[in-house]
Amino acid sequence: MAEVGHEGNSVSEPLDLVRLLLDEVVCVKLRGDRELKGRLHAYDSHCNLVLGEVEETIYVVEDEDEDDEIKTVSRKSEMLFVRGDSVVLISPQSRSY
Amino acid sequence: MPPAALGRPPQLPQLPAQMFTTAAQLLDLTDKKLMIALRDGRKLLGILRSWDQFANLVLQSTKERIFVPPGTAPNQTRGLYADIERGIFLVRGENVLLLGEIDLDRDDDPPAGYDLADVELVKSLAKQKKLEEKIKEKAKVKKLSTIGFEGEN
Amino acid sequence: MLFFSFFKTLIDHEVTVELKNDIQIRGILKSVDQYLNIKLEDISVVEEIKYPHMSAVKSAFIRGSVVRYVHLPAAAVDIPLLEDATRREASIHAGKAK
Repeated sequence: MAEVGHEGNSVSEPLDLVRLLLDEVVCVKLRGDRELKGRLHAYDSHCNLVLGEVEETIYVVEDEDEDDEIKTVSRKSEMLFVRGDSVVLISPQSRSY
Repeated sequence: MPPAALGRPPQLPQLPAQMFTTAAQLLDLTDKKLMIALRDGRKLLGILRSWDQFANLVLQSTKERIFVPPGTAPNQTRGLYADIERGIFLVRGENVLLLGEIDLDRDDDPPAGYDLADVELVKSLAKQKKLEEKIKEKAKVKKLSTIGFEGEN
Repeated sequence: MLFFSFFKTLIDHEVTVELKNDIQIRGILKSVDQYLNIKLEDISVVEEIKYPHMSAVKSAFIRGSVVRYVHLPAAAVDIPLLEDATRREASIHAGKAK
Protein backbone atom coordinates (compact mmCIF):
# COMPACT_ATOMS: atom_id res chain seq x y z
CA MET A 1 0.00 0.00 0.00
CA ALA A 2 3.03 2.21 -0.26
CA GLU A 3 1.64 3.95 -3.31
CA VAL A 4 -1.37 5.30 -1.46
CA GLY A 5 -1.17 9.06 -1.18
CA HIS A 6 -1.69 10.33 2.34
CA GLU A 7 -3.99 13.12 1.30
CA GLY A 8 -5.81 10.98 -1.26
CA ASN A 9 -9.36 9.77 -1.14
CA SER A 10 -8.46 6.11 -0.79
CA VAL A 11 -9.59 4.06 2.15
CA SER A 12 -6.87 1.64 3.15
CA GLU A 13 -7.52 1.49 6.86
CA PRO A 14 -10.65 2.12 8.93
CA LEU A 15 -9.79 5.61 10.09
CA ASP A 16 -9.33 6.75 6.48
CA LEU A 17 -13.09 6.58 6.24
CA VAL A 18 -13.34 8.98 9.15
CA ARG A 19 -10.93 11.35 7.38
CA LEU A 20 -13.36 11.52 4.47
CA LEU A 21 -16.09 12.54 6.92
CA LEU A 22 -14.27 15.63 8.19
CA ASP A 23 -16.53 18.67 8.05
CA GLU A 24 -19.53 16.39 7.37
CA VAL A 25 -22.45 15.56 9.60
CA VAL A 26 -21.89 12.20 11.25
CA CYS A 27 -23.71 9.93 13.64
CA VAL A 28 -21.77 8.45 16.52
CA LYS A 29 -22.96 5.63 18.71
CA LEU A 30 -21.52 5.63 22.21
CA ARG A 31 -21.33 3.39 25.24
CA GLY A 32 -23.76 4.34 27.96
CA ASP A 33 -26.90 4.32 25.77
CA ARG A 34 -26.15 7.47 23.79
CA GLU A 35 -26.01 8.65 20.21
CA LEU A 36 -24.67 11.89 18.81
CA LYS A 37 -25.29 13.68 15.55
CA GLY A 38 -23.03 16.58 14.65
CA ARG A 39 -20.44 18.00 12.29
CA LEU A 40 -17.06 16.29 12.60
CA HIS A 41 -14.26 18.81 13.12
CA ALA A 42 -11.47 16.62 14.50
CA TYR A 43 -10.53 13.04 15.34
CA ASP A 44 -7.43 11.05 16.21
CA SER A 45 -6.37 7.41 16.23
CA HIS A 46 -8.10 6.78 19.59
CA CYS A 47 -11.39 7.95 18.07
CA ASN A 48 -11.33 11.04 20.24
CA LEU A 49 -13.61 13.48 18.40
CA VAL A 50 -14.67 17.09 18.26
CA LEU A 51 -18.19 17.64 16.96
CA GLY A 52 -19.99 20.92 16.34
CA GLU A 53 -23.74 21.69 16.58
CA VAL A 54 -24.31 18.41 18.34
CA GLU A 55 -27.57 16.78 19.17
CA GLU A 56 -27.27 14.04 21.76
CA THR A 57 -29.91 11.35 22.20
CA ILE A 58 -29.92 9.43 25.47
CA TYR A 59 -31.98 6.28 25.84
CA VAL A 60 -33.48 6.02 29.31
CA VAL A 61 -35.64 3.54 31.15
CA GLU A 62 -38.04 5.41 33.40
CA ASP A 63 -38.98 2.61 35.74
CA GLU A 64 -37.88 -0.89 36.48
CA ASP A 65 -41.43 -2.13 35.80
CA GLU A 66 -41.69 -4.74 33.11
CA ASP A 67 -43.43 -3.36 30.01
CA ASP A 68 -42.34 0.21 30.44
CA GLU A 69 -41.16 1.82 27.23
CA ILE A 70 -37.71 3.10 26.49
CA LYS A 71 -37.74 6.88 26.31
CA THR A 72 -35.25 9.23 24.76
CA VAL A 73 -33.89 12.50 26.06
CA SER A 74 -32.35 15.05 23.70
CA ARG A 75 -29.65 17.56 24.52
CA LYS A 76 -27.76 20.05 22.41
CA SER A 77 -24.20 21.28 22.62
CA GLU A 78 -22.51 23.87 20.40
CA MET A 79 -19.11 22.18 20.50
CA LEU A 80 -18.26 18.86 22.08
CA PHE A 81 -15.10 16.87 22.68
CA VAL A 82 -15.88 13.16 22.87
CA ARG A 83 -13.40 10.77 24.48
CA GLY A 84 -12.58 7.91 22.13
CA ASP A 85 -13.00 5.07 24.60
CA SER A 86 -16.78 5.71 24.67
CA VAL A 87 -17.13 5.53 20.89
CA VAL A 88 -18.75 2.39 19.48
CA LEU A 89 -19.22 3.41 15.84
CA ILE A 90 -19.02 6.39 13.53
CA SER A 91 -21.34 6.54 10.55
CA PRO A 92 -21.95 8.97 7.71
CA GLN A 93 -25.68 8.27 7.57
CA SER A 94 -28.33 9.34 9.96
CA ARG A 95 -29.52 6.50 12.09
CA SER A 96 -32.96 5.96 13.45
CA TYR A 97 -34.72 3.15 15.19
CA MET B 1 7.85 11.62 18.24
CA PRO B 2 8.97 14.85 16.66
CA PRO B 3 6.56 14.78 13.66
CA ALA B 4 3.73 15.35 16.08
CA ALA B 5 4.85 18.94 16.38
CA LEU B 6 3.51 19.45 12.85
CA GLY B 7 0.01 18.66 13.99
CA ARG B 8 0.10 21.41 16.52
CA PRO B 9 -1.97 24.51 15.91
CA PRO B 10 0.53 27.31 15.34
CA GLN B 11 -0.83 29.92 17.75
CA LEU B 12 0.56 28.33 20.92
CA PRO B 13 0.72 31.04 23.52
CA GLN B 14 3.75 31.27 25.78
CA LEU B 15 2.37 29.24 28.63
CA PRO B 16 4.63 27.78 31.28
CA ALA B 17 5.60 24.22 30.40
CA GLN B 18 4.66 22.94 33.83
CA MET B 19 0.97 23.31 33.03
CA PHE B 20 1.26 20.31 30.76
CA THR B 21 2.50 17.37 32.81
CA THR B 22 0.65 15.19 35.25
CA ALA B 23 3.33 15.87 37.84
CA ALA B 24 2.85 19.61 37.63
CA GLN B 25 -0.90 19.33 37.94
CA LEU B 26 -0.53 17.28 41.11
CA LEU B 27 2.27 19.37 42.54
CA ASP B 28 -0.15 22.18 43.41
CA LEU B 29 -2.32 19.74 45.32
CA THR B 30 0.47 18.28 47.48
CA ASP B 31 0.00 18.66 51.25
CA LYS B 32 -3.52 20.03 50.66
CA LYS B 33 -6.74 18.61 51.97
CA LEU B 34 -8.48 16.86 49.10
CA MET B 35 -11.65 15.05 48.25
CA ILE B 36 -10.92 11.95 46.19
CA ALA B 37 -13.74 10.30 44.25
CA LEU B 38 -12.99 6.67 43.38
CA ARG B 39 -14.29 4.55 40.54
CA ASP B 40 -16.38 2.37 42.86
CA GLY B 41 -18.23 5.48 44.07
CA ARG B 42 -16.38 5.92 47.36
CA LYS B 43 -15.45 9.40 48.52
CA LEU B 44 -12.31 9.96 50.56
CA LEU B 45 -11.13 13.09 52.38
CA GLY B 46 -7.47 13.31 53.21
CA ILE B 47 -4.18 15.12 52.88
CA LEU B 48 -2.18 14.33 49.75
CA ARG B 49 1.38 13.47 50.77
CA SER B 50 2.83 11.68 47.75
CA TRP B 51 2.00 10.80 44.13
CA ASP B 52 3.56 9.78 40.83
CA GLN B 53 2.90 10.16 37.10
CA PHE B 54 0.16 7.50 37.16
CA ALA B 55 -1.69 9.50 39.81
CA ASN B 56 -1.02 6.77 42.38
CA LEU B 57 -1.61 8.63 45.64
CA VAL B 58 -0.66 8.46 49.30
CA LEU B 59 -3.23 10.06 51.59
CA GLN B 60 -2.83 10.87 55.26
CA SER B 61 -5.56 11.27 57.90
CA THR B 62 -8.03 9.79 55.45
CA LYS B 63 -11.73 9.76 56.21
CA GLU B 64 -14.26 7.97 54.08
CA ARG B 65 -17.48 9.99 53.78
CA ILE B 66 -20.70 8.20 52.98
CA PHE B 67 -23.85 9.93 51.79
CA VAL B 68 -27.48 8.95 51.42
CA PRO B 69 -29.73 11.21 49.34
CA PRO B 70 -33.10 12.50 50.61
CA GLY B 71 -35.92 9.99 50.32
CA THR B 72 -33.87 6.85 50.96
CA ALA B 73 -35.78 6.13 54.16
CA PRO B 74 -39.51 6.92 54.50
CA ASN B 75 -40.08 10.58 55.52
CA GLN B 76 -36.42 11.42 55.18
CA THR B 77 -36.56 14.90 53.65
CA ARG B 78 -32.88 15.77 53.93
CA GLY B 79 -29.75 13.94 52.88
CA LEU B 80 -27.52 12.36 55.48
CA TYR B 81 -23.78 11.85 55.71
CA ALA B 82 -21.22 10.32 58.05
CA ASP B 83 -17.45 9.95 58.26
CA ILE B 84 -15.39 6.85 58.95
CA GLU B 85 -11.75 7.25 59.99
CA ARG B 86 -9.43 5.30 57.68
CA GLY B 87 -5.89 6.52 58.37
CA ILE B 88 -3.21 6.18 55.68
CA PHE B 89 -4.25 5.06 52.19
CA LEU B 90 -2.27 4.30 49.06
CA VAL B 91 -4.67 4.58 46.13
CA ARG B 92 -3.78 3.10 42.75
CA GLY B 93 -4.15 5.77 40.08
CA GLU B 94 -6.51 3.95 37.76
CA ASN B 95 -9.15 3.89 40.50
CA VAL B 96 -9.18 7.66 40.87
CA LEU B 97 -11.99 9.57 39.17
CA LEU B 98 -11.22 13.00 40.44
CA LEU B 99 -9.19 14.90 43.00
CA GLY B 100 -10.77 18.03 44.38
CA GLU B 101 -9.07 20.67 46.44
CA ILE B 102 -11.21 21.53 49.45
CA ASP B 103 -11.94 25.19 50.08
CA LEU B 104 -11.05 25.36 53.78
CA ASP B 105 -13.49 28.25 54.31
CA ARG B 106 -16.35 25.98 53.36
CA ASP B 107 -14.95 22.74 54.77
CA ASP B 108 -16.79 22.90 58.10
CA ASP B 109 -20.21 23.51 56.55
CA PRO B 110 -22.26 20.43 55.83
CA PRO B 111 -23.12 19.99 52.13
CA ALA B 112 -26.29 21.88 51.17
CA GLY B 113 -29.35 19.81 52.00
CA TYR B 114 -27.37 17.27 54.05
CA ASP B 115 -27.01 16.67 57.80
CA LEU B 116 -24.43 14.77 59.78
CA ALA B 117 -25.91 11.55 61.13
CA ASP B 118 -24.98 8.40 63.03
CA VAL B 119 -22.45 6.27 61.14
CA GLU B 120 -24.31 2.98 61.55
CA LEU B 121 -27.56 4.54 60.37
CA VAL B 122 -25.98 6.05 57.26
CA LYS B 123 -24.11 2.81 56.56
CA SER B 124 -27.28 0.72 56.62
CA LEU B 125 -29.24 3.22 54.51
CA ALA B 126 -26.39 3.41 52.00
CA LYS B 127 -26.32 -0.36 51.75
CA GLN B 128 -30.06 -0.46 51.14
CA LYS B 129 -29.81 2.28 48.51
CA LYS B 130 -27.00 0.48 46.71
CA LEU B 131 -29.04 -2.71 46.56
CA GLU B 132 -32.05 -0.88 45.09
CA GLU B 133 -29.86 0.76 42.50
CA LYS B 134 -28.28 -2.51 41.51
CA ILE B 135 -31.71 -3.98 40.78
CA LYS B 136 -32.75 -0.89 38.80
CA GLU B 137 -29.51 -0.94 36.80
CA LYS B 138 -29.98 -4.60 35.94
CA ALA B 139 -33.46 -3.94 34.58
CA LYS B 140 -32.18 -0.97 32.60
CA VAL B 141 -29.32 -2.88 31.00
CA LYS B 142 -31.67 -5.71 30.09
CA LYS B 143 -34.17 -3.38 28.47
CA LEU B 144 -31.65 -1.31 26.55
CA SER B 145 -29.87 -4.41 25.27
CA THR B 146 -33.01 -5.10 23.22
CA ILE B 147 -32.19 -2.08 21.05
CA GLY B 148 -28.51 -2.78 20.81
CA PHE B 149 -26.92 -0.93 23.69
CA GLU B 150 -24.66 -2.28 26.36
CA GLY B 151 -23.61 -0.81 29.67
CA GLU B 152 -20.95 1.85 29.90
CA ASN B 153 -18.27 -0.08 31.76
CA MET C 1 -0.90 14.78 20.39
CA LEU C 2 -3.62 16.55 18.39
CA PHE C 3 -6.07 16.84 21.26
CA PHE C 4 -3.37 17.61 23.80
CA SER C 5 -2.40 20.60 21.63
CA PHE C 6 -6.04 21.46 21.04
CA PHE C 7 -6.83 21.58 24.75
CA LYS C 8 -3.78 23.77 25.35
CA THR C 9 -5.37 26.39 23.11
CA LEU C 10 -8.49 26.35 25.33
CA ILE C 11 -6.68 27.14 28.57
CA ASP C 12 -8.37 29.89 30.60
CA HIS C 13 -11.70 29.25 28.86
CA GLU C 14 -14.77 28.01 30.67
CA VAL C 15 -15.64 24.39 29.83
CA THR C 16 -17.98 21.76 31.21
CA VAL C 17 -16.51 18.33 31.76
CA GLU C 18 -19.00 15.47 31.80
CA LEU C 19 -17.76 12.26 33.40
CA LYS C 20 -18.79 8.71 32.60
CA ASN C 21 -20.69 8.61 35.90
CA ASP C 22 -22.85 11.52 34.59
CA ILE C 23 -21.58 14.26 36.88
CA GLN C 24 -21.02 17.56 35.04
CA ILE C 25 -18.40 19.98 36.32
CA ARG C 26 -18.11 23.49 34.96
CA GLY C 27 -14.93 25.46 35.51
CA ILE C 28 -12.01 27.32 34.02
CA LEU C 29 -9.61 25.00 32.19
CA LYS C 30 -6.27 25.53 33.88
CA SER C 31 -4.12 22.72 32.60
CA VAL C 32 -4.03 19.53 30.59
CA ASP C 33 -1.43 16.79 30.13
CA GLN C 34 -0.60 14.13 27.55
CA TYR C 35 -3.20 11.71 28.99
CA LEU C 36 -5.79 14.48 28.71
CA ASN C 37 -6.05 14.66 32.47
CA ILE C 38 -7.72 18.01 33.09
CA LYS C 39 -7.47 20.58 35.84
CA LEU C 40 -10.38 22.94 36.42
CA GLU C 41 -10.58 25.90 38.77
CA ASP C 42 -13.55 27.84 40.20
CA ILE C 43 -15.75 24.84 39.66
CA SER C 44 -19.47 24.46 39.97
CA VAL C 45 -21.42 21.24 39.69
CA VAL C 46 -24.59 20.81 37.67
CA GLU C 47 -27.35 19.26 39.85
CA GLU C 48 -25.37 19.88 43.01
CA ILE C 49 -27.84 18.16 45.34
CA LYS C 50 -27.03 14.85 43.68
CA TYR C 51 -23.31 15.23 44.29
CA PRO C 52 -22.89 16.48 47.88
CA HIS C 53 -19.25 15.35 48.00
CA MET C 54 -18.36 18.21 45.65
CA SER C 55 -19.79 20.95 47.87
CA ALA C 56 -16.55 22.35 49.33
CA VAL C 57 -14.37 21.56 46.32
CA LYS C 58 -12.93 24.62 44.56
CA SER C 59 -10.60 23.06 41.99
CA ALA C 60 -10.42 19.60 40.51
CA PHE C 61 -7.94 17.29 38.82
CA ILE C 62 -9.95 14.97 36.60
CA ARG C 63 -8.40 11.77 35.26
CA GLY C 64 -8.64 11.72 31.48
CA SER C 65 -9.86 8.15 31.36
CA VAL C 66 -13.10 8.97 33.23
CA VAL C 67 -14.17 11.79 30.91
CA ARG C 68 -17.09 11.21 28.57
CA TYR C 69 -17.40 14.69 27.04
CA VAL C 70 -15.97 18.14 27.34
CA HIS C 71 -18.49 20.79 26.33
CA LEU C 72 -16.53 23.62 24.70
CA PRO C 73 -17.25 27.26 23.91
CA ALA C 74 -17.66 27.24 20.08
CA ALA C 75 -16.30 30.79 19.86
CA ALA C 76 -12.95 29.63 21.21
CA VAL C 77 -12.48 26.97 18.53
CA ASP C 78 -10.88 27.83 15.20
CA ILE C 79 -12.63 25.20 13.10
CA PRO C 80 -10.61 25.45 9.82
CA LEU C 81 -7.38 25.31 11.80
CA LEU C 82 -8.58 22.31 13.77
CA GLU C 83 -9.64 20.44 10.65
CA ASP C 84 -6.31 21.16 8.96
CA ALA C 85 -4.44 19.93 12.02
CA THR C 86 -6.57 16.78 11.98
CA ARG C 87 -5.71 16.07 8.33
CA ARG C 88 -2.04 16.64 9.03
CA GLU C 89 -2.11 14.32 12.02
CA ALA C 90 -3.91 11.68 9.95
CA SER C 91 -1.31 11.82 7.20
CA ILE C 92 1.52 11.50 9.72
CA HIS C 93 -0.15 8.37 11.07
CA ALA C 94 -0.71 6.92 7.62
CA GLY C 95 3.00 7.39 6.89
CA LYS C 96 3.99 5.68 10.12
CA ALA C 97 1.75 2.70 9.69
CA LYS C 98 3.50 1.52 6.55
